[in-house]
Amino acid sequence: MKKIIEIENLSFYYGKQQILDNISVGFGSSSIAAITGSSGSGKSTFLMIINRLWEELNGARMSGRVSLFLDHEKLDIYGRAISLSWLRRKVGMVFQIPNPLPMSIYRNLALPLQMAGMKKKDGIGQKVEMVLRQAFLWPEVKDRLRDDARTLSGGQQQRLCIARAMILQPEILLLDEPTSSLDEKAARKIESLLLVLKEQCTLLMVSHDQAQVKRVADEVLEMDGGRMSVLN
Amino acid sequence: MTKIWGKRVFSSSLLDSRFLFLAATVVGVLLTLSIFAFMVMLGLPLFSVHSLTLLLTQAWAPDQGLYGVFPFICGTCAIVSLSLLIAFPLSLGNAILIHLLAPRRLARFLHQVVKMMTGVPTVIYGFVGIFFLVPLVREWFSRGSGMCILSAALLLALLISPTMILVFLESFSAIPATHLRALEALGGTRRQKLLHVILPGARTGIITGLLLALGRALGDTMIALMVAGNATAQPESLLDSVRTLTAHIALVMAADFDSIEFKTIFACGIILYLWTAVLTLSLRCLHFNYAKSSHDQSL
Repeated sequence: MKKIIEIENLSFYYGKQQILDNISVGFGSSSIAAITGSSGSGKSTFLMIINRLWEELNGARMSGRVSLFLDHEKLDIYGRAISLSWLRRKVGMVFQIPNPLPMSIYRNLALPLQMAGMKKKDGIGQKVEMVLRQAFLWPEVKDRLRDDARTLSGGQQQRLCIARAMILQPEILLLDEPTSSLDEKAARKIESLLLVLKEQCTLLMVSHDQAQVKRVADEVLEMDGGRMSVLN
Repeated sequence: MTKIWGKRVFSSSLLDSRFLFLAATVVGVLLTLSIFAFMVMLGLPLFSVHSLTLLLTQAWAPDQGLYGVFPFICGTCAIVSLSLLIAFPLSLGNAILIHLLAPRRLARFLHQVVKMMTGVPTVIYGFVGIFFLVPLVREWFSRGSGMCILSAALLLALLISPTMILVFLESFSAIPATHLRALEALGGTRRQKLLHVILPGARTGIITGLLLALGRALGDTMIALMVAGNATAQPESLLDSVRTLTAHIALVMAADFDSIEFKTIFACGIILYLWTAVLTLSLRCLHFNYAKSSHDQSL
């Protein structure tokens, strides 16, 4: 299987504390890889290294090499000057707590496209409808697209956030415990969505839920003491 | 109110606190209204001789029996509007620089400088105005004494900017980190973060800062007194000397106590009171309507 994410000798420090210790690992395309491990073991940090979101943190530093296969080209994302905006559009991220922006449901989905330079005439409306259908949200929100996204339930908000990340057609999607704040029913809907999405991109998911990991993951890795080991 | 064994029970501490808050609100409103009533009452002797319309439209010429405060209204309006026009973009730009663009150390330094500026007494600004700004304006334009609307507005802009910057910064900091992180993860640039999350989220804070600055500019006496020139004539250009309503109150009170001239200070007080109230309410209404319409049209 072609490796879409390749990490070599990755170490990460927050102040004087070492969070990740010399990790080398690779992830194949069109699969779901789940990362498990105890709280504070560096799982979320690991995800943020792949889209360089950690760089906003004060006092953090890293060493090692992170290569991604994006747009049919292998890129060392720390080794050469690449646009952070471009990288983050190619590597989407969904957070533990749903974080819709304080605007309408429609605008939450249209904004990423507009920020990427797309105009209304380029069919933003159709794209919004498409991702909402893909996220199984369309029947629930089609009559209330003008409503504030924060009026949706927690599960709906998280599906909206996944749809928002997917609307940019990323090649990699990072999911940081996407169902931990949701009930069983909402979590199952997200799981079904992830299984659909893996046909389109590579998913890297942090999860504490062993049963969920068994249900959806093609590959399971465990993070312990800053080191990563493959479980299956 | 809580339900215990199916019965509605009012907690006594909750009742106490409700009563206290209500009492504080009523006292606050009554005090504000009584200040207005007090000014009307003390100004009655003037209003019985001169109608309010005449006071608001006539020139100031006590030796001819004219006690109109129209030139002072114009002076105040010109200085306050110009100072806000200068200070608002300056303050917003500064707040954006400190919050978003400047390197951490520089941002911290600038923040401290702004905080320090809020504590500088107005009279110091006045000194700077008299000894530095007024000669500069006089030389630049080669007209008049330099004590004019422009000098006063520039100095007032400097005075009100720190207050605005601090309120803007506070409202920027109140934007939830999750919203900023969401935009970063979507590839949003700093400019996009500012346009789509920070400024819309801080709208209420920006309006509040503007209102506070407006109140401060309207109420300032020292700068107008020291730098605006205090001419009682109707101003015709930004380089003309003017007297503001507050400066008029201070000047008359220092020299008089019981003449019709003296009573005009209450008319000035009433105008300032109503001016502030109407502007504040209008801006709040405008903001409310804008928030409602922008939500309705967010599609």
